[in-house]
Parts: sequence; structure tokens; C-alpha cells
Amino acid sequence: MPCVIALIIFGIIGIFSASHRDLAKEAFSCVFKRITLRPCDTGFKEKIKGKVLSKIINRSTFLARMVNRHYEVLSWVFFVLMIGSTFWVFSGVYKFYVYGSCNGLNQSGFCAFDPSGENNKVTTLGDNSTCGITPATESSLTLKGVDLSSFVRKTNIGKDEVVVIGCYACDYSRKVYPDILKLIENKKANYTFASYPAKGDTTFLAEAGYCVNKIYGEKYWEFNKYLLEGEKDFILDKSNLNKILEIFNFDIKKVNECSNSTEVKTIVENQAKELKKTNIYGTPTIFINGKAFVGPKPYRVYRSAMNKYIFF
Amino acid sequence: MLDVNKIREDFSVLNRRGSYIPIYFDSACMSLKPDQVVKVMDDYYKEGFACVGRSAHRSGVQATKKVKEVRGIVAKFINAKNENEIIFTRNTTESINLFANSVGLSKGDIVLITDKEHNSNLIPWLFLRDKIGIIVKIIPCNGDGTFSIDNFSEMISGAKIVSVVHTSNLDGVTNPIKEISQIAHKNGALIFVDGAQGMAHKKIDVRDLDIDFLAFSGHKMLGPTGTGVLYGKASLLEKLTPFMVGGNTVSNSTYTNYEFLGVPDKFEAGLQDYAGILGLGEAIKYLNNLDWEEIEEHELKLNTYLTEELKKISKIKIIGPENGAERSSVVNFYIEGVDMNKIAIMLDEMANVEVRSGRHCVHSWFEDKKIYNSLRVSFSIYNTMEEAEIFITNLNKIMKIL
Repeated sequence: MPCVIALIIFGIIGIFSASHRDLAKEAFSCVFKRITLRPCDTGFKEKIKGKVLSKIINRSTFLARMVNRHYEVLSWVFFVLMIGSTFWVFSGVYKFYVYGSCNGLNQSGFCAFDPSGENNKVTTLGDNSTCGITPATESSLTLKGVDLSSFVRKTNIGKDEVVVIGCYACDYSRKVYPDILKLIENKKANYTFASYPAKGDTTFLAEAGYCVNKIYGEKYWEFNKYLLEGEKDFILDKSNLNKILEIFNFDIKKVNECSNSTEVKTIVENQAKELKKTNIYGTPTIFINGKAFVGPKPYRVYRSAMNKYIFF
Repeated sequence: MLDVNKIREDFSVLNRRGSYIPIYFDSACMSLKPDQVVKVMDDYYKEGFACVGRSAHRSGVQATKKVKEVRGIVAKFINAKNENEIIFTRNTTESINLFANSVGLSKGDIVLITDKEHNSNLIPWLFLRDKIGIIVKIIPCNGDGTFSIDNFSEMISGAKIVSVVHTSNLDGVTNPIKEISQIAHKNGALIFVDGAQGMAHKKIDVRDLDIDFLAFSGHKMLGPTGTGVLYGKASLLEKLTPFMVGGNTVSNSTYTNYEFLGVPDKFEAGLQDYAGILGLGEAIKYLNNLDWEEIEEHELKLNTYLTEELKKISKIKIIGPENGAERSSVVNFYIEGVDMNKIAIMLDEMANVEVRSGRHCVHSWFEDKKIYNSLRVSFSIYNTMEEAEIFITNLNKIMKIL
């Protein structure tokens, strides 16, 4: 067993260190002999054992005696631990690649590859919501039973379905938006954007957006893009709405009348109610073919979710 | 008394300031080299090297002269009659192979060897047994590893060659070569001696011991690696047929014929390791400057100390006679159920003590005795009592965890 451990360890170190390559070869020779049902007579095991014991014996004779006597058992323990930790590492790497977190989808525990947890930060819902708070609880996020018919949907030639629940005021929604656009473009996916006022009052923007879509159709997407990529303070200032509408040569009066109508206010209000049915706890929350991704994940995470075989 | 501290000054490896300095107890495998030996070899390459016995230019003549001088030094060192009795080889193994394949053995010839010969004095004979059908007989030693004259006397009848080790690298026992030689000659056999181990520890006089052939290496006697010697009585060498032939072994050749040179040239095929040969000469000069009695006294002191200390450890079994005085510069021991490689590695890692573990090229003995391996401490003129004490201290430490 010590040879197997040595082979793995020295094999990895040997990639970078020539002096360890010979040890790796010795370990391989030993392992090969064992798996071909021959005794390992290379002396490798005793060599490693001798080196290990000589380090310990100068610190504690008792410990060295214990290690010497139970070397095989200890080797097995370390082997199991090594296999476990190796599996753990590979699992973490896989999850990080696919979900943006070593701990799994929408899990916010510490991840060595994303130590600051950027991929899982969201704007929590509520009156005192703040950007950048890491969610403490998990919810069952779902689109089942949620009526999205009143939201603007871009129909594309692809079969994939992307639903983005974002907030115009939230940095993380704004951060992820370019990647979403890139994703839609590359994958030709169907795309629904749902505004949710997670932080501050952005309902007026949702109402305006609804009316822009109603009046100008496809031009909505340019308007929406501006709201999520333009200068935030300017956009969130309600008094600047007309200026924004003016940039797109929209009929300000017409859009305002529409936005202020009771019908539209009711619709937007109902939209928020519908979105709550998803059990959303923060924005951005992106549903890709029904699977929820909370927080601004790297682009590859969304792409992987659409790929047939993760990488392609 | 041997001035060990002064001797140690000549060995750079023991004086490396600020870096790893070994406690070198593996001289039975290879001795350290004094700076004088290294310098002579260095000078050969730096200050005009040339082919020996071929080129007429000044460098060639100079190199030829120097090698001839060394041949004379070697001859004098073992008290050979003349320098032409000295054949340069690469090592003891080559010398034995040269002899075994040149002496003209045929099917049914009997060769006697002891039961603790180094592979270099076992395999060539077994190989000839399989190749041409000679008979190899093993002389069992006494229980303590000493040579059994009784067993030898019983087996000598009909033997053509007696090939025995002078001092064993296994247990340090020196065989009674003079007595063996007398019995061998009395029975019409040639006596061949493997002198590799003993050359740096005991004075060997081939005429006094009446040895027909003697083989030894430079690397165990302070000399460079790749150098060896085959001594043979001139009259006997004349009868040998060359084993390896080619360049520098003939006086003339045609497309159909050749004419061999005389002894020793006809046995030294191809270009030799001249730098090594000069180094070997310097190593012999170095040994000649020391007192052999003092060397033996120094080694006896170390061996006695180590033996007595090892006897205090109950698990340890010493190979060979109990008395250290009978084991020259070798203390070889084992512990039942313990792979001695581990102990050797630990000694090295813990205290830079370099010892040899394994079967010491005497696998046959270990197989016969069913002993897995052993740890051999072998010392030389440069080892000190302090080093021996460090070895014992660390060994005792290791014994506590076994």
C-alpha cells in the first residue's frame, strides 16, 4: 500500500521535479510487481519507511516505534484519506466549473477557487435589502406554476429557455447581464427578462419597460439593455426617465400615459407576485431550462448548463 | 599509531566545509580517494595525455613511461618478480574472467571455490560449467566463517584450480592463503586469489604466499574506479591464451593472420584507462607511505569497539567470527525479521552514516543460510573512533523502535 501512495504522490511531484521522478519509477515498479502477483523486491517500501522513521525518531522515539509497528495500517488510513480528499477535490473542481461554486449549485460555503464568493453573491429581497449579501438559506427555486406570460419574451430559434429575474438597481444583476446577452446570442436561446425590484423602488422602470414593449415591440430589448448597462444613479433617478425615453426617440407622453395607467400598474404588481412564487430569495436568479442559478455565475456555468455534454 | 587526522586532511570529501560530510563506512565496496590520486589523474588530462605504447611523439613517450612506472610500482607492491607479471584490467571481475577464460579449462576440469565467494569469483566459474562442462566444487567454511583446511584437504584431489578469496567482503575473514597454496601446489592445482578486499588492509606478498594468480581492483584501495590488476607468475602467464583481442595485442597482422605481442601486452586489448592507471600508482604510493602494522592496529581497534558494542544488543547477529580481530575491517550483521536496508537508510538520514545493506554480492551465501540481508560496516584508514561512536549511538536509537 505505501507503494501505491508513493506512486501517486511522487507521480504528481515528478511532473515538476526531476529528482522525484526516479522515486515515482521505483514506486511504479513496485506496484506493477504487486499487481502482477509478484513480490515487491525493489526495497522501495523500506526505503521510504526508513526515510519517514528517521524524521520522526529524532522528535519522538515512542512515535517512531508506533509508526514502525503500524506502518501498513497507517498507510491504509492515509490511502483512504487520500482517495477521499482526491475525490473531494475533483468533485469541487467539477462543481466549480459547472456551478461556479465548489460546494454545489447555489451553495455559498467557502470555495478555494472563489474565496470571496463572488459567484454566489446576490441582492436579498426585503425592505432593507443590500447588494452583496450572501444568502444564508437555500430554497426550492422553481418556475412551476409561475405565470410568465406578461413578461417580455424574446423568441429565438433554439430550444433552450432562459428566464432572468433581475433588478435594475442591483450590481450583481447588472454584472451578469452582458454574459446573459452573450449566452442568448451564442446559443440562440429563448429569453425572458423579469424585473424584480429587489433593491429600492425600480417599479417605475418595470412599468416603463412593459409599455415600451407594448408600444415599440423589439425596441424593448435595447431599452432594457440600457437600463442594465447604463450609468446606475442616472437611471434610478425617476426624474430622468423622460430623458432616457428621449434617447430612444420614444413618445414620452405615450409611454408615461401607459405607465401611469391602472392596468399596467396592476400587471407589474401581479408580475412581482408571480415571481415570488418561484421562491426567489435574491437577484439575479437565472433559470436555464428550469434550473436555477442564483448570483452572477461565470459565463461558462450558463454555457455548461445548455451544453449537451457539459463542455460541448 | 596511525595519524588519522592527518590522513583525513588528504580526503577532500571529508573536509567539505558547510556541506554534507559523510561518515563513510562503506570502504569494502569502494574506498574514498585521496587528493593526491585525483590530482595525478587530473594532471594526465591537463598536462598532456597521449596513447601509450603507440605514438612516438614526446607526449606519447612520456605517457608510456609513466604507465610503465606504475606497472613497476604495482609489481613491487605485491612483490612480483617483474613488471611484466602485471596485467592492467578494469577491475577484479575482469581479471577473474580473463584468467578463467584464458587458462585453458576443458570439460571435467575441477575448480574449487569457497562457499562465500563474491559473485565475481563464483559466476565466471558457474558460467564455464554451463558453457564447457567444468566441475565447480564448493569448499564449506567452518561454522564461524573461517576457512576449513580439513574440508579443503578432503576436496583438493583432482582439482585443477583453487580460486579463493583473500579477505572476504562478507565477514572480513582472511583466509590462510599460504597454507592453501601449499596444499594446492602439492596436489598439482593452480592457486588463484581474489585479493580485492584485502589489498588496502593487509600486505600481500605473492612470492611469500606462493600465489600463482592474483586479482584486485584499484577502487577498494584508494585508487580510481575502472582500474584492476591481474598478476600471474610469468611462466604461467606465457601459457595463457588471450581472452580479449584486438588493438595493441599484436605486433603485426595481415588479412588472414596475426602475431600476438608478448606478456602483458597481448592481454591488454584496446586503449586502457591511463589516467586511472596513473591514479592506481599514486594510491599505491600513498599506501606505501603508511605503516601496515599501524593500519592493522587502527582497524583492529575500530573493529573491537564496534564488535563489543554490537554484542550488547541482543537482537543483533554478527556474521563471521565473534572476535573482531579475525574480521579485518568488516563488521557485518543482521537482525532476524528486519530488512536491513531500512536501518541503513535511517542511519544515513539521521547522522550521515553511510553503510552498505543488502547481500554484498554474496547472494549464494545468504540463500544458503536463509538470511534475507545484512548491514555491513567497513572502514579504512580515514575512519575515526568518534565516527564509530556516532554509528553505535544512532543504531541504539533505532533499535529502540524495532
